[in-house]
Amino acid sequence: MPDTLPTTPVPPQRRGGIVDTNALMAIRSLELRARVVVEGFWNGLHRSPYHGFSVEFTEYRQYSPGDDTRYLDWRLYARSDRYHLKKFEDETNLRCHLLVDLSRSMSYGTTGHTKADYARTLAATLAWFLNKQGDAVGLFTFDGQVREYLPARHRHGQLRQVMLALDKAADGRETNLGGPLRRVAELVRKRGLLVLISDLLAPVDDLERDLSRLGAGGHEVVVFQVLDPNELAFEFPGARLFEDVESGKEVYLDPAVIRAEYQDRLKSHGRAMESLCQKLGFTYLQLVTYQPLDLALQDFLRSRQRRGKRIRRHGQARA
Amino acid sequence: MNFLTPWFLLGAAAIAGPILFHLIRQAVRERLPFSSLMFLRPTPRRVTRRRQLEHLWLLLLRCLGVALLAAAFARPFFNKNSAVPDPATEGRQLILLLDTSASMRRAGVWDQARTVAEKYLAQTGPGDQVAVLAFDRQPRTLFNFAEWAVWAPDQRAALGRQRLAAVSPGWLGTQLGLALTVAAEKFVDDTANGQPVSRREIVLISDLQEGAKLDGLQGHDWPANVHVVLERVDAPVQANAGLEIQNPAGAAASDDALVRARVTNARDSDREQFHLAWRAINGTNIAGTAMDIYLPPGQTRTFSAPALPKGTTTAELLLTGDAVDFDNRSYFSVPAAEHLVIAWFGQDSVNDPMSLRYYMQRVYQDTPGRQVKILSPDAPQGFSPEWLDPAVFAVIPGRLTPEEIAPTRAWLERGKTALFVVTDETAAATLALLTSLPDLKITEATGDYALLGTIDFTHPLFAPFADPRFSDFSHIHFWKHRHLELPSAAQARVLARFDDGSPALAQLPAGKGNLLVLAAGWNPADSQLALSSKFPPLMQTLLEWSGASAPARSQFETGETIPAPASSSNTAVQWAKPDGNTTELAAGVAFSDTDVPGIYTATVGGQQRQFAVNLPLEESRTAPMPSDDLARLGVPLQPVSLLPAAKVQETQRHLQQAELENQQKVWRWLIVGVLVILLAEMLLSGWLARRATAAGVSS
Repeated sequence: MPDTLPTTPVPPQRRGGIVDTNALMAIRSLELRARVVVEGFWNGLHRSPYHGFSVEFTEYRQYSPGDDTRYLDWRLYARSDRYHLKKFEDETNLRCHLLVDLSRSMSYGTTGHTKADYARTLAATLAWFLNKQGDAVGLFTFDGQVREYLPARHRHGQLRQVMLALDKAADGRETNLGGPLRRVAELVRKRGLLVLISDLLAPVDDLERDLSRLGAGGHEVVVFQVLDPNELAFEFPGARLFEDVESGKEVYLDPAVIRAEYQDRLKSHGRAMESLCQKLGFTYLQLVTYQPLDLALQDFLRSRQRRGKRIRRHGQARA
Repeated sequence: MNFLTPWFLLGAAAIAGPILFHLIRQAVRERLPFSSLMFLRPTPRRVTRRRQLEHLWLLLLRCLGVALLAAAFARPFFNKNSAVPDPATEGRQLILLLDTSASMRRAGVWDQARTVAEKYLAQTGPGDQVAVLAFDRQPRTLFNFAEWAVWAPDQRAALGRQRLAAVSPGWLGTQLGLALTVAAEKFVDDTANGQPVSRREIVLISDLQEGAKLDGLQGHDWPANVHVVLERVDAPVQANAGLEIQNPAGAAASDDALVRARVTNARDSDREQFHLAWRAINGTNIAGTAMDIYLPPGQTRTFSAPALPKGTTTAELLLTGDAVDFDNRSYFSVPAAEHLVIAWFGQDSVNDPMSLRYYMQRVYQDTPGRQVKILSPDAPQGFSPEWLDPAVFAVIPGRLTPEEIAPTRAWLERGKTALFVVTDETAAATLALLTSLPDLKITEATGDYALLGTIDFTHPLFAPFADPRFSDFSHIHFWKHRHLELPSAAQARVLARFDDGSPALAQLPAGKGNLLVLAAGWNPADSQLALSSKFPPLMQTLLEWSGASAPARSQFETGETIPAPASSSNTAVQWAKPDGNTTELAAGVAFSDTDVPGIYTATVGGQQRQFAVNLPLEESRTAPMPSDDLARLGVPLQPVSLLPAAKVQETQRHLQQAELENQQKVWRWLIVGVLVILLAEMLLSGWLARRATAAGVSS
């Protein structure tokens, strides 16, 4: 934490969040944090308009010898006297890998917790949620290179290992997504869900080259960009030397002079990232570290659902 | 306040640094970590100069710290009680120690020494105190500090030169150690005069020859602040050899006596071949007495000198072949053979082993240095008063004839000594007449035997036996002895008593002479005395004590005292020096004025004795002594300064200032002050920084 704190912008209202972020981050155990978010979210599903999102029927397929007879639709057989198998969209469990950026830029934070803390909690929440759904969860943590790798599995103890790997103190250096993402593409051959949690503070061209590797593997990719509120507001008292936590480079800045320009640049970077993800078919979600995590989870599920519908529509169109 | 190294004060110019830094404002000093600078464009830095100094107290502390540090390095000291002497009022104490030993007689050496001494006298300032000591075997003062102080300052050097002119090298040896210690004591004795002195120096002006004796220097407690400056004067010619005739103790007066000469060749000599020859005292060569010798440098050897012609009593042995001749002759006096006549008044046979004479004859046998003749009245010419005149000692065994008594008594009263042996009771009459003591009684002792009880070892007769190794007389049995009853008026001194208390040996005065009375004989019928080992030395001592025997030593060194020729008479001794001067000394007084080598003659009672006095051989070892030898013995040497006097004075002044600064150590307090200021500066700057930070956050 810097000695001289910036003037932290007052966080907006929770916008329907269940758990206060600062209160959540005060919980020491990462596992407990995830559990609090997921269970709160689970309870809140009563009022949620989104349901039926799990195993969903897609089509029938004619039975051929050797198919598993458990999936025969006996009702249809009664009606048509033909053997058909019911085919579901998620007939197999989801394989999800969480890619968490723990580079030094993620150690920045002015809200009482760092972006890395927020990213860890988000990853833990997703892992808990997916594990509770019966999906296989894997984990990559990285800075300039992959630090921790847990292949996606759904078995007893996997969630615990994910929590431990996330809890490990990371002393990462600069953000370089190229190496780690190339390594992810090599390690994750089977298509699945990849959730990238990073501040994405890198040139858009580099990010495009790196992220396109994931898209080429046929993975479904969700990109969470985690930012500190002060990175958005850039409100600091007086001119001073700003030190890049990754490179150590020092620049003399007067925030009052360059604030508007900075915010414009940051916004355009965000827009470029959004359009890039759209181009690559990724889901892009920007999170600020004061935002409640249950809402982030909600946004995540909503984007999953939208993607499911889109795929269905796409499949029907092809059919 | 003065500074020992004032150029360090230039370091105070570093005060400009803090002032400059306080004038320059750096707008931003804090650093703020930020996640990424990729969206940030540098803003031009604003560095401005202040028109007014800020944090004046901080600046003051920093400037003060720099100034104190510079002052500490400059090593300040207070001059209020300065020990730095003013040459005009406070000078040095200088003792010029001038070597006047025989080795300084070498050509050119003494002139150099005087020149050096005069140079020192000329360089003295008005505040200096000077004393000059000359030394050879003994140091002697030419003038002391008190005399110097009395002289008018402008005449001191001239008067000092006058005193120096009166001195010249003698013929004595060099006792350098004694001279140095005596000179150092002069400073101690003079500390009472109370005059301030900047330093004390002994300037030793000497040839520092190898043969100089350094006795007394080892472990000498040198006074504080005394330094010895060596001013070595070198002889232009180095090749030197010297000789010494060894004392022929016990040598016979025979013509073929062997004379040994020790010859030494100096270490720095370049000669090896020398020539020895006898020469008469008057300077004429004695033909046929020459020999060549070979002696490498640095060695000392003993040679047998060529044989002297018969009948020679004195001569000088001349060494030739070296370049320095002050030590090339050694005088020799042939020890005179003693011709002693002892009067024997008895009738005993010389060949009867039971008689007294038999043993006395054997005790007083001829030796190479002495011929003894024992005369007896029964000799052909019989007794006459003149018969006793040549006798130097007499033995009276029991009795004298009436005609013998008066001449013998007269002979005794002239200062002679006789031994009276009491052989029986009838001796009392003779003894009473001889000593004029009519009450004297003698009775034959009864009993088994007697031993010697008490002995007066303080008497010269028994003094040689005083050592416990020789003082045991208890084994001598006296089968017969006589009780000797001495009247109180006898003024007798009992030298030994028997164990029954009666005197065994008594000394009775007889005019100028002495009569020794022995209460028992030494013949076997009376005692075992003659058979005892004590008998010969006792009788020899008796002969010497009586004055009949002269000292055998005839060779002496310059400065040594010659014992007076022994004589039982108390007549004065006439001493004649080689230069013809004569001195009369009382009997028994040794002659000490042996300052010139040569033949000295002592005349007493018509008899002449000649003694040869020579240079000590050590004076011939003229090779220079390493000054390390003195340093090793603890002499506080100070090298001779080659710098000009003004430079020396400046150096001295600087040294004293350094000493003063070292005593005061002001720089330590300044360093402590710097540390305190640094601490205060840290506290103040920390407080100011925290205040500035708090102000920045609140803004």
